[in-house]
Amino acid sequence: MLDRSKIVGSPVSRIDGPLKVTGAAKYAAEHFEPGMLFGHVALATIAAGRILAIDTRAAERLQGVVKIYTHENRPKAAYRDSKWKDAVALPGHPFRPLENDRVLFDGQPVAFVVAETPEAARDAAGLIHVHYAAETPNTHIVAEQHNSYEPPVARMKQFLPPPPRGDAEAAFAAAPHKVSADYVLPGEHHNPMELFAATVRFEDEGRLTIQDKTQGSQNSRDYVCGVFGLDPDKVIVKNDFVGGAFGQALRPKHHLFLAVMASLDLSRSMKVEMTRREMFYLSWRPSCVQTVSLAADDEGYLQAVLHHAVHTTSRHEDYQENVANWSGLAYKCDNVKISYELVKLDLATPGDMRAPGAASGVAALETAMDELACEVGIDPLELRVRNFVHRDQNQDKAITSKALHACYREGAERFGWVARSPTPRSMRDGNDLVGWGMAGGIWEAMMSKGEAKVRLSADGHVTVSAAASDIGTGTYTILGQLAAEVFDCPIDAVTVDIGRSNLPKTGVEGGSWTAATTGSAVQAAAKAVVKTLLGHAQSMENSPLAEASEEQVEISEGRLVLEANHQVGTAIADIMAAAGLDAVEEQAKVGPDILSMRRYAAYSHSAVFVEVKIDEELGVVRVTRVVSAVAAGRILNAKTARSQILGGVVMGIGMALHEEGLIDHRTGRIMNHNLAEYHVPAHADIHDIDVIFVEEQDQRASPIGVKGLGEIGIVGVAAAVSNAIFHATGKRIRNLPITIDKILESEAVQ
Amino acid sequence: MAAPKIRSELRFILNGQDVSLRDVAPDHTLLDWLRLSKLLKGTKEGCAEGDCGACTVLVGRLTPSGGLVYEGVNACIRFMGSLDGCHVVTVEHVAARDGKLHPVQQAMVDYHGSQCGFCTPGFVMSLYALWMQTPNPTDQQIETALQGNLCRCTGYEPILRAARAISSYGGTEKDPLLVERDAMIARLKALKDGARVEIGEGKSRFVVPASLDDFAAVLEASTTATVVAGSTDVGLWVTKHMRDISPVVFIAGLDELKSISVAGDTVTIGAGVTYTEALKTLANHVPALGPLIERIGGQQVRNMGTIGGNIANGSPIGDTPPALIALDATLTLRKGSERRTIRLEDYFIAYGKQDRQPGEFVEAVHVPAPAAGEKFAVYKVTKRRDEDITASLGAFRLSLSADGTVTGITIAYGGMAATPKRAFAVEKALLGQKWTEATVEVAMEKYAEDYTPLTDMRATAEYRALVAKNLLLRFYTETTSGAATAQVSRYEAA
Ligand SMILES: Cc1cc2nc3c(=O)[nH]c(=O)nc-3n(C[C@@H](O)[C@@H](O)[C@H](O)COP(=O)(O)OP(=O)(O)OC[C@H]3O[C@@H](n4cnc5c(N)ncnc54)[C@H](O)[C@@H]3O)c2cc1C
Ligand code: FES
Ligand code: FES
Repeated sequence: MLDRSKIVGSPVSRIDGPLKVTGAAKYAAEHFEPGMLFGHVALATIAAGRILAIDTRAAERLQGVVKIYTHENRPKAAYRDSKWKDAVALPGHPFRPLENDRVLFDGQPVAFVVAETPEAARDAAGLIHVHYAAETPNTHIVAEQHNSYEPPVARMKQFLPPPPRGDAEAAFAAAPHKVSADYVLPGEHHNPMELFAATVRFEDEGRLTIQDKTQGSQNSRDYVCGVFGLDPDKVIVKNDFVGGAFGQALRPKHHLFLAVMASLDLSRSMKVEMTRREMFYLSWRPSCVQTVSLAADDEGYLQAVLHHAVHTTSRHEDYQENVANWSGLAYKCDNVKISYELVKLDLATPGDMRAPGAASGVAALETAMDELACEVGIDPLELRVRNFVHRDQNQDKAITSKALHACYREGAERFGWVARSPTPRSMRDGNDLVGWGMAGGIWEAMMSKGEAKVRLSADGHVTVSAAASDIGTGTYTILGQLAAEVFDCPIDAVTVDIGRSNLPKTGVEGGSWTAATTGSAVQAAAKAVVKTLLGHAQSMENSPLAEASEEQVEISEGRLVLEANHQVGTAIADIMAAAGLDAVEEQAKVGPDILSMRRYAAYSHSAVFVEVKIDEELGVVRVTRVVSAVAAGRILNAKTARSQILGGVVMGIGMALHEEGLIDHRTGRIMNHNLAEYHVPAHADIHDIDVIFVEEQDQRASPIGVKGLGEIGIVGVAAAVSNAIFHATGKRIRNLPITIDKILESEAVQ
Repeated sequence: MAAPKIRSELRFILNGQDVSLRDVAPDHTLLDWLRLSKLLKGTKEGCAEGDCGACTVLVGRLTPSGGLVYEGVNACIRFMGSLDGCHVVTVEHVAARDGKLHPVQQAMVDYHGSQCGFCTPGFVMSLYALWMQTPNPTDQQIETALQGNLCRCTGYEPILRAARAISSYGGTEKDPLLVERDAMIARLKALKDGARVEIGEGKSRFVVPASLDDFAAVLEASTTATVVAGSTDVGLWVTKHMRDISPVVFIAGLDELKSISVAGDTVTIGAGVTYTEALKTLANHVPALGPLIERIGGQQVRNMGTIGGNIANGSPIGDTPPALIALDATLTLRKGSERRTIRLEDYFIAYGKQDRQPGEFVEAVHVPAPAAGEKFAVYKVTKRRDEDITASLGAFRLSLSADGTVTGITIAYGGMAATPKRAFAVEKALLGQKWTEATVEVAMEKYAEDYTPLTDMRATAEYRALVAKNLLLRFYTETTSGAATAQVSRYEAA
């Protein structure tokens, strides 16, 4: 039914666009409550040690200060760890703000000022003096690598390495061509443009309405209720608009805890907004050290793949992501050994950041593939084509769909890859060295459990509701489109009600599964409405639809009609009038198809082609052209889809060239905690980016045929840039980001 | 000089409304005032340090010639005290008064220039400012206008496409700000009463002087006051370093400090002239300075920041001092009614120390053009191409005799030492020699005598040492290969 695609699949503008361009869209910090108080956090200035004393006297004297919280006077909160664990918590002990005198990482909250004005709170926080007994911090992953360990408790089963297959070491030793190298990736920080914030409205009878910057309103609600022992029926969390998150807002942050704590303690409404600096001490993409060894025969067929990955976690939690397993399933190879370990450092717990794991692991794998292509002496694209596999060898499962050949073909054609001269340093444009590189990308197509409600009114108006979030991904628009499609109505006739915890249950918005999950739930609920409507129609006298089954009908121009003959049908208004209803409402619940999941694995794929131009004397790189060809099932909205990929590609360019949390390892402190020194790509860094969606039909990945687009755009980009830089300069730089000084100081190989 | 009238009230116009404030702290920012006092939340805070552009608003002000210009500025580092007599326009005031979206806004919606939307009001304001002046901009003009706006979601390209399309949604003739222009000029003129504004008491006080002479008098009487011109440095002292800057003297509104005059081969630029205002004349006069200025901060920073402030601040990584030193610029300093003019080079004494007496201020900088036949170039190298602070910057001025002997050479660098600094040893090795690659290669080794650069977040010491040499080599190549030396191509990190 959906395939008639009048609305779905077309580039509809975002329905929330006008609110955003006029400044009317309100984000978490922008809600005002009469009489509210403001909080500001004082941050630790050591990375490890204990607080000996906190002098708050000067701060307390400041006019407007209401109360200052430290670990010495913090109101009680839940005792058991289990109460602090949110829906995406990790093995280990969740961080509890102001719990005790321990300092676990630089920038940890050590005091919280509540004042009548934000200025007073901020100024007072600056007057708090903390005396520490500092310990020597360990923050250097390379230096601490020898202390790595296998996570004793897995965060998710699929993050564990697959059992080894074949004999990778022996095959590696015996193969005629091999490469083996270490790849070092720094920590990265999400830096969504919106700062974390929460506004808590304190209402009668202990009711709270909280505006939070979160990727899951229900996750925030459940966390708050668990920690403070609140009745879930009395707490509503809203996130109407979220100013970007990229994974950073999956787990509740300290601002939420502190805002609710003070609100309950003082019986007042509260607002807490972080500073840009504070954003650097939260979830981050962990620094990561990897060794990848690949071997091939003379034709380039892979003989062995060995991938060992170690990344950072905090002292108190075991953050885990799927870094290395991709190496066991991206290409055909029968001798594979993958291992994965963590190392504890005195840093905040890392967290999921756009394509967590894959962004790092595929960067290493795809650079190694480029090195192997050079070693074997074949074109890097051809090497990948030869090693194509249509099976997930890690899990020994079939794959739902994999239009990667089409990505290779269409991407290469658009880019003009055939004109590439294979020798490094052989292409020039004036004074600039020119390099062409490519890489593949892969991400899991996930679907989770979710519910949605759809209501069709007699006047044709449709309301869709679910607790889903729109973090800039276009959820409002896509859900509206899906409903409009079923009811054959303009998108303006659909109200999309999301971003509230007391709506039908959905998981957090992350991992690209919202479109697949909530979208499928909306479609299912809409179809249920049609079915109910058919039932009512059939109870009408002389119903022309009396014999029709639900598969045979659809809605067209305000009427329920036979799909095969639109002349036959009844107006929706008439059906409702006859049934004495002014609306029909249905709720539906969807989840992954467990049976199918046993036999199939689902992934989205991409091929990324990059051109760089390099001023070698200065080490300056420009990424002048990118073609990203993506196979991700069905595309619901060409505009939102394209933007998701563009945003991912640009973040990948940032990863390759700029982004890096710089730590002073003597003190364990982050040095570049601002947007002046932590460089995210700016407009002029970005030139010509072309996105291709190749045709891919896949009804197994999700009922609506989508695989999700939030993550795949970034995967492989850093490797493609790095490979292009190698092609331009003959310099293989294996520690990202590839900054001006690394290019200038590295030696060309050959 | 007769003492001016004193007014203890700040007056400006916010969107359509007259504002007068008596209770304003010297370090109160426009962004805090908009968001916290006026509850105008359309203007966003993304960094509070001038880096992201989410807080972009337009500030309209009367020009010395009686016109009215609107410029995008960073509200987060703009102090309230500097707004006297201005028209502040926020994103809430952009749509038509009947609520219909403005062409800029409609284009952003239709081209999907907004995803999460948090950066969007800032982009709308920057594009609005561009479109008002240049309704049909080139891609390069769009890029320049958007340097100061970061977006983490869209990948920029949809915004670029929106920018190209704006004019297809309607012409400027219907734009409310342009329609109301004459009325606004009249309203702003009415605010100009020639008074000195003084608000606050004792230390936590600020002054907006009535005239240049008044400024001189105020500063002489209050030598510990912080002079604030564009606040693109001072703003960060407050928002980033929580420094107390009061008392403050705001000089951005002083027309007399905004003069640009050309006499013979020398341009004189008043200390209050912003980068944006200086761009055209300076680029005409010394073409290599055009591209350099366009790589300082983003458009919002260039609309506020002054060359006077860049010099006065004394930073080792300010971009204009090395270039101006290489051009042998001079600086006029003034204290009360006393003036003295020194070589710019001599102004920088040591890190954090300049040749400026208490109560003295920078009045103007005089920039001689390179003589006929002289070659001049300046190269800025940064980690990120745009909106980034210099890792290393080299400026070179060369004259050759007919037989190719170096008869004059001035080389100055930023980012290589504690102050902007000449490379005397290198110059010495070149002077009187034939301008050949061999000479240059010998001279390159002398950088080690001139500079001991440091490693920091922007680059390693080794990189700086190496790139300093490569820049000289680049200058040599460009001067000998016939490439236009004064021009720095758009992308070659220069
Ligand atoms: C996001 C951002 C990016 C930037 N990028 C660059 C860059 O790429 N390159 C670069 O060089 N700079 C850059 N800067 C800094 C640059 O904008 C400033 O150095 C600017 O030129 C200072 O001018 P101002 O008018 O804003 O000075 P202010 O901030 O007002 O003042 C700066 C200093 O000069 C003093 N001062 C100002 N005017 C006078 C005067 N007439 N007499 C005496 N003292 C005076 C002040 O007291 C203060 O000490 C950037 C700043 C920001 C916020
Ligand atoms: S808030 Fe980022 S530039 Fe002002
Ligand atoms: S749309 Fe999210 S930061 Fe630009």
